[in-house]
Amino acid sequence: MGKYVLKRLVYIVIVFFVISFLMYALYNLIPTDPARAQLEPMRQQLKPEEYIRMYKQLRKEMGLDDHLVIRYARWMGIIKGLKGKFDGLLQGNFGYSQTFKKPVVQQISEPMKNTIFINIFATIAALGITLPLGVYCAVHKGKKFDTTVQTMSILGYSLPIFIISLIFMYFFVVRWGIFPLMGSKTPNAAYEPGSWEEFVDKVYHIALPVIVMTFASLGGMTRYVRSSMIEALGTDYIRTARAKGLREKVVIYSHAWRNALLPIITSILAWFLGIFGGSVIIENTFSLNGMGKLYWTGLNTLDFELVLAIQMFYTVVSLIGSLLIDLSYGIVDPRVRVNK
Amino acid sequence: MSKKMKNNTPKKKKRSTLARWFRQTVLRKHDIDYDNPEVIETPLKIVAQNFFAKKTAVFGVVVFLLILLVVLIGPYFFKLNLGEHEQTLIHVPPSNNMMKIPKEMHGRISDIAPGTTFGIGVDVDGKVYSWGHTRVTERIDLKDIPDEVQEADLKMIAAGMDHAVALDTNGKLMVWGNTRRSQARFTPDMEKAQKSGKNWNIVQLEAGMQVSAALDEGGYLYLWGNRSNFDLGIKREYQGNIAKIAFMANEYISLLKDGNVAYTGIKGKGSPFSKIPDELLQGKTVDIAATDRTCAGLTEDGKVYFWGRLEKGENEMPEIDSKIVKIEGGRFHYSALLENGNVVSWGNNDYNQAKAPAQVTTGGNVKELYVGNFQNYAILENGEHVTWGLSGFPLGTDNFGRDMLVRIINGGRVTMLVGAIAVVIATIIGVILGGLAGYFGGTVDIVIMRISEVVGGLPFIPFAMILSAVIGSRLDPTQRMYLIMIVLGILSWVGTCRLVRAQFFAQREMEYVTAAKAMGIREGAIIFRHILPNVFSLLLVSMTLDFATSMLTESTLSYLGFGIPLPTPTWGNLLTGANNSIIIQQYWWRWVFPAVIFGMCTICINLIGDGLRDAMDPKSTER
Repeated sequence: MGKYVLKRLVYIVIVFFVISFLMYALYNLIPTDPARAQLEPMRQQLKPEEYIRMYKQLRKEMGLDDHLVIRYARWMGIIKGLKGKFDGLLQGNFGYSQTFKKPVVQQISEPMKNTIFINIFATIAALGITLPLGVYCAVHKGKKFDTTVQTMSILGYSLPIFIISLIFMYFFVVRWGIFPLMGSKTPNAAYEPGSWEEFVDKVYHIALPVIVMTFASLGGMTRYVRSSMIEALGTDYIRTARAKGLREKVVIYSHAWRNALLPIITSILAWFLGIFGGSVIIENTFSLNGMGKLYWTGLNTLDFELVLAIQMFYTVVSLIGSLLIDLSYGIVDPRVRVNK
Repeated sequence: MSKKMKNNTPKKKKRSTLARWFRQTVLRKHDIDYDNPEVIETPLKIVAQNFFAKKTAVFGVVVFLLILLVVLIGPYFFKLNLGEHEQTLIHVPPSNNMMKIPKEMHGRISDIAPGTTFGIGVDVDGKVYSWGHTRVTERIDLKDIPDEVQEADLKMIAAGMDHAVALDTNGKLMVWGNTRRSQARFTPDMEKAQKSGKNWNIVQLEAGMQVSAALDEGGYLYLWGNRSNFDLGIKREYQGNIAKIAFMANEYISLLKDGNVAYTGIKGKGSPFSKIPDELLQGKTVDIAATDRTCAGLTEDGKVYFWGRLEKGENEMPEIDSKIVKIEGGRFHYSALLENGNVVSWGNNDYNQAKAPAQVTTGGNVKELYVGNFQNYAILENGEHVTWGLSGFPLGTDNFGRDMLVRIINGGRVTMLVGAIAVVIATIIGVILGGLAGYFGGTVDIVIMRISEVVGGLPFIPFAMILSAVIGSRLDPTQRMYLIMIVLGILSWVGTCRLVRAQFFAQREMEYVTAAKAMGIREGAIIFRHILPNVFSLLLVSMTLDFATSMLTESTLSYLGFGIPLPTPTWGNLLTGANNSIIIQQYWWRWVFPAVIFGMCTICINLIGDGLRDAMDPKSTER
């Protein structure tokens, strides 16, 4: 097991560097010139030759003329930066946001909390509903309840999340007025930070987005759980277990369920990544102060250091997700431990 | 064996050769069935049978084909105009009643005042009716005709963009509708004239964009309303000398009592409207009319002269075999009543407003003609009415006054095209890489699978947004559409690749592959000509499901503003900005219709994909 975990860790670190390099290279395609931007206000006062000389010097100081790989290493914090010390991503320096005029780290801490909060809520809610529902449908395959759920679940995974949001907004906000339409807190509310009221207000505001996200992920997950459970129930060892006279509960939850869990775990990875991607849409639709909203703002204002940092966040989330899946594979399936 | 026996039966021998030939050629199928009771069906046939046995799948196919047909053929009939912007038709709800005169009025029409999207009419008893889209704001509705208007004995009515004016036989002037922009604020001289009755024998009542005019028999003109974008002034020398007026969008012109045309407003200097053709200054003008940006004058000999900003074909008058007696202007078109009782319409025909039906162009029995912005009403001699022009928008209009139906149909074409091409790209990449990995295995497999893990590990939506933002900023809308196709294709091949790889692993151990290898067939040919056809059925299922996914992703990107940019419509960007309560509640047609058709489309594709998968699954036939 230890060797297996180590192997996966090494692999993930490599993938992280590959992706981050790709992202960095991609950003360097953008025709921006920070040196020129910094010098532009002084342009009127300088003579042309002086301007060019200062421009060249500034480019050199900023290290803009260096090779892409060197700049990447500097940005990452693998080699020494321009000020002679390691100051990059690995040291916690995520750059400076031009839009918000403050370091990216400060800018993203609050939205990051919100996004993780929303996604964890939605994940727990979705898994809590889909797993029992899928198992129940698989056991009662072909019954009325199962067919109804199957038909409904097609709706769930066919409709884009923003259409679901609009429908829910119509009913829950406009028609019934249960939830607020937008925002992540009541405007101008004077709560003490960390107080109970603040938390309640936050939950009140994120309730509808979480409901929408849960609903959107119900369809696909339920179907997945159902089909892998059906597959497990159709195997020979289940027939054997039944022939032995085991109670149906034991057959389902002990024999079939454990084996069905394996493909389900795989699908959770894809779904978990999807839910972070989906929160970009949700946060924009509901105007929540989260990573997705910030990302959208950053892309629209071409604030690329900010965008790059958030993109790294998404990448890390997906990598950690895949690591967790691999580890849980190891726990659930003994064959993995033995073979690798 | 059975065939032999059958041929030997005496019954058979009696048949003529012709009959046998007929049986063998035309009814051969029946013969074979008879001879081989155990019917062997091709796998394809079994799949088709299974597939069509599923009601949901058939439903999906039918509805999807219908949507596809609409989306493919529709754009040829509902042409998209990207620069379309019609200020007077913003946020019109789904309607078909803009020219629907109430039943109570049929045959008893005395006067009609056509507005922008509505009409107001008076019947012979002086009762007022309204029809069409009369709602101005949430509170104001022109349908709510005040009691004093309903009770009065009306002489004249006029309807503008958001208000209506009525004059009763006692000379009392009433305004209703939107009155927030001083539509009901009469000028002091009007108040005086109304009180004294002097110079208050109104012969013409006009209403335009938040402005109105009343013309006295003695040539005295009263103008009132919103001054901010209308030339409401009257030059002193013309006052008392005006015979008729016509409203443009922001100006008006007058026909004087001496038969000349004049720009009688005060902002006429340099305006194209004050460059009146010489023929209309000879004292022989009998009628004038105006559209939004052009004017027309009719002379005694029946000739029409146009001036102003002639941009929408307002001066392209057809050949006429009779003399024009009356001319009326809409927003971008003219209609004229001829001496022989026919009607001609010309000018802009976006809403069929310049396409008069044969009944009025050749019938020769038109008595009266009323022309609104985009509507025409012709009253026949027998009291019946004929209408043509804009009757409404079946799916409403958006914030630029564009027809939602046209945008949904054209948007569907873009979304489906992008989805289809993205799937094709993804499938090609997935098949090549998956095939190579699955067939060769070993190092090739490891390298390709690592690549696919990296690509599959990228968070999809954020990454597509970045690519679109970084590369797309330098592209024009068409190139951007291609970019989105390529981005979606490049990011979504992983699933296909894994599927093909797994299939190839299973197939390459089969005998036919060994046989092909033994015959010395090139490996490329083995992969693509021998193995691939066996994988194709599963590939078809995954392509169908991926098609729905690609459409969803495209629409999501467009919804977020990183896909295909406006004004090119797609099913995604039609919903951009729909997440505010005003649109959700009041302008519901702006999100309900795109959402419904898009939802239907993806649901149907998923139903088809599910049906195909079930039909191809050998396990499902066993059950």
